[in-house]
Amino acid sequence: MSLAIAVALLTGAGTWLLVRGGAVRLILGFILLGHAANLVIIAAGGTDRRVAPIVDGSTPLDAAADPLPQAFVLTAIVITFGVTVYLLGLVARIAKKSPSSELEEEFDSDDEGVGNR
Amino acid sequence: MLAASVALMGAGALIAPLLVRYLGRYTGYPLALIFLISGVLLLIDAPEVMSGATVTESWQWVETFDVEFTLRLNGLSLLFAVLVLGVGVLVLSYAPQYLDPSYEVGRLYTVLTLFAGAMLGLVLAGDLILLVVFWEITTLSSFLLVAGSGTTGVWPAVRALVITGIGGLALVGAVVMLALRTQTTNIEQAIALAPEALTATDIAIIGPLIVIAAFTKSAQLPFHFWLPGAMVAVTPVSAYLHAATLVKAGIYLLLLFSPLFTEVAAWHITLMGIGLATAVFGAFQALRQWDLKSLLAYSTVSQLGTMVALVGVGTSASLAAAALLVAAHALFKATLFMLVGIVDREAGSRNLADLSGLWRAMPITAGLTGLAAMSMAGFPPLVGFVAKEESFYAFLDTPSASWTADQAWLGVAAAAIAVIGAALTLAYSARIFFGAFFGPLTQRNLYEPSWLFLAPAVVPAIAGLVLGVAPWLLNGIIDRTSQDVGFPLVQSDLSLWHGLSVALGLSIIAITLGLIIHFRRESLLRWLGQDTPRSIAPEIFDRIWYATLDLGARVGRTAHSASVGVQLSGVAILLLALTVGGFVLIPGSTDGLGPVLPDVMQPVDVAILILLVPAVILLARARTAIAALVLAGFVGLIISLWLLLLGAPDVALTLLLVEILTVVVAAPVLSRLPAHRGLGSSTRAAVSAVVVGAISGLAVWVFTGRREASSLSDYFLAEAEGLTGGTNVVNTILVDFRGLDTLGEITVLFAAALGLLAAGVITVKGRGEGVLGQGEQAVLRVGSRVIIPLLLIAAAVLFWRGHDEPGGGFIAGLVAGSALAVAGISGVHVRLPRPRVILALGLGIALASGVLGQVLGGTFLEPFKFDVPVLGSLTTSLIFDLGVFLVVVGLVRTALQRLDGLDSDTEEDEHHHDPDPVRVLP
Repeated sequence: MSLAIAVALLTGAGTWLLVRGGAVRLILGFILLGHAANLVIIAAGGTDRRVAPIVDGSTPLDAAADPLPQAFVLTAIVITFGVTVYLLGLVARIAKKSPSSELEEEFDSDDEGVGNR
Repeated sequence: MLAASVALMGAGALIAPLLVRYLGRYTGYPLALIFLISGVLLLIDAPEVMSGATVTESWQWVETFDVEFTLRLNGLSLLFAVLVLGVGVLVLSYAPQYLDPSYEVGRLYTVLTLFAGAMLGLVLAGDLILLVVFWEITTLSSFLLVAGSGTTGVWPAVRALVITGIGGLALVGAVVMLALRTQTTNIEQAIALAPEALTATDIAIIGPLIVIAAFTKSAQLPFHFWLPGAMVAVTPVSAYLHAATLVKAGIYLLLLFSPLFTEVAAWHITLMGIGLATAVFGAFQALRQWDLKSLLAYSTVSQLGTMVALVGVGTSASLAAAALLVAAHALFKATLFMLVGIVDREAGSRNLADLSGLWRAMPITAGLTGLAAMSMAGFPPLVGFVAKEESFYAFLDTPSASWTADQAWLGVAAAAIAVIGAALTLAYSARIFFGAFFGPLTQRNLYEPSWLFLAPAVVPAIAGLVLGVAPWLLNGIIDRTSQDVGFPLVQSDLSLWHGLSVALGLSIIAITLGLIIHFRRESLLRWLGQDTPRSIAPEIFDRIWYATLDLGARVGRTAHSASVGVQLSGVAILLLALTVGGFVLIPGSTDGLGPVLPDVMQPVDVAILILLVPAVILLARARTAIAALVLAGFVGLIISLWLLLLGAPDVALTLLLVEILTVVVAAPVLSRLPAHRGLGSSTRAAVSAVVVGAISGLAVWVFTGRREASSLSDYFLAEAEGLTGGTNVVNTILVDFRGLDTLGEITVLFAAALGLLAAGVITVKGRGEGVLGQGEQAVLRVGSRVIIPLLLIAAAVLFWRGHDEPGGGFIAGLVAGSALAVAGISGVHVRLPRPRVILALGLGIALASGVLGQVLGGTFLEPFKFDVPVLGSLTTSLIFDLGVFLVVVGLVRTALQRLDGLDSDTEEDEHHHDPDPVRVLP
């Protein structure tokens, strides 16, 4: 239930930011949705077992958390970082091309260009 | 030696670009030698084949589907293979003389050799899947060769690719169906099992698919138009692919599969009907061409039609005649193409309107053209005549086929149409010869070409004469071929003179009629009208093509919008519809779910939520970019704390580091941006947010926390240490169990970094301008002397212990990246290879460790354990993890450099005198 609430909150806020529009909101919204997706995957593994899956003998195996979702989430986080960095690059490029005050409009008109292609 | 022969052709394609570097257009000669050797290797097995055996070589290929790499040589494949390699030798020794010195020959020779290898593989393939693979390679290489002839070639090449590509898909369909029904992909077994395994419905599906595959490849109505279009390719390509070999692949396919359809009247009627129609149509079109290459192209369409019709007759004699015509056609058509190329080179034109009286200047060329044209026209004593006689006989004998009910009219009708086709063929053959070589000589300074140029055309022209005089030389191979396509062995008796037979009478009628047509050509065409047989197929093709593109654009437009908001709220609506629809339409869809397990929610979660909820709400309402960024970092920290509490220390550590680095990288970019205003409608945003949030939360609540540990979880926990020697199960999953996944993931990181690099220097800040002021930097610089080495040591330790305890390549890479960030912020210069070098090294090492696994154990990325003194047990997955580490470091460095202007390239900064460089790597 706790993860469900967190996921609802994070996807809600992420969607809000994305739909409001604007380059910065887009990046922040993307980051929040990334958190939400990671929590969904962790939740899928079950959160009733919460001992780290290190099998050095001291861990009771039936209490260990599911390691597979953890592996997925770990790489997902790094990929989110990669994509965030890339998005930032795009934003920075647009910012450099046009006066900063027009950034948001610039971002939207660029988008329109794609739509009409 | 079948595999050796095919492999040699593959090797030829590989070394062709190298040879071209040294030999240029003369590369054709060594390649011709390779073709010749390949042919000799094949002929080693020929005596065995001729004595009735089938030579087979087989290797395991795709074990899971029981697919074998089987090559087999029987009479049918021997006939085609000899044509592929024989004509190949001729065309490749012709090309060096024909090609312009300035022509870009690298691609031509490489693709031509690749094509020949694929064509050889196609006719030798003993497995259905292998057949399809080689079939597709021939399609693609034909496309490349036609498109390679410059901008004029692109559209014809696209048409040809689409048409023959459709045929390729049809072949895949037929092959899959056949393999599924007969439970084997071996061609011989599949054909042998087919009568029992295939129902009438199966036949009704497989038959049309094979017909489409063959008709598109062999340019039958209504798909014929790609072939004349393909004539924009250079003449050696036209002579080889579009006359002698590629277009015969369809005939080969029909011959190969005809045993499946012996009793299916529809198959025979389709083949005979379309084949004869194409034969007459193509011949008429050839008659009205002025460009000699177009004329020959339509002539090829016509001759292919005759071959298809002969396969359609379905008697032993008709299949023998088809095989004979395949051989005869390859000989005279390749000759004619090469000679037209020579005329084109010498006289500067291949248009009949410009050519006249050439025999006075080029008597040998004229003589050879006459010989080949006579063979095409079916004059005795050339092999074309024998083939024509045999086909007349076969058409007349149609009623003896088992699928007919002794309808005598069928044979008469087929023979009559064939006679008309033959008469038209004679007329356009005569036109080539008389049109170009007779009449007054209008051009000056024309000479016979060199013998080197002529020789490749002499060989097949003379062969056509020899085989015409002594056709019995072909008895053995023709008999064997018709036996291979499912008929009991009969002794053919090919001969120039059969006495006063009906076929001879038909020949005489055809020749007389043909001569009349030749001399009355103008009035005949006028009577037919200019437009009558003109095909509308190309226009229909173009219309469908553009309509498809248009449809795609229209469908795509519905998903596009000027505003991100509008696009994304569509996703929200879809999500809502799916969820509500799912619950409503599928009653009881959640019945199987148990109650939520007791420990899923624990008190500590409440504490986390108390921190998280206000942070996220503040973030969503933040008015400045920097405030939002700080809040985003805070949210990340809370979640990583939570992950630690949930028993995921590796994930928590990763997220923590990523959050820090994101703030470092993003702060300089975002701080330059204005306070952001909401642009889209806030109502729409609020509704979307509530819908998406509520549904996601509901889905998590309904679908998770209701079952015990998964069997995969148990498996990994129980087996990880035993199988990999590592105790950190998460890390063993990353580098040992699911290494291929991880390889894919670091490739994504690699691509993201490349994207940044490709975007050019996009630093927002000016050079040398740090994030901090001079004073603050000085303080940090002192501190960094301690911090950076500590971080690097931490990275090394985390990397080393990753297999057993929290750590590993990802985390170590992020820690090392943090060290770079500290260095960047404090203005300390770090000497490192350039980001793209680090990235490439990382991905290269990861791939190399995969190959190492392949070499050591047989599967890609399979890890191996070694016992090393002092260090203890090591595994090769550590090498893979090193690749991961480097890619992550490369990504962080790229981001710092490109986004923040920190940590710039050493090369660029050689002159920039940094007071305090820290040497990080040797």
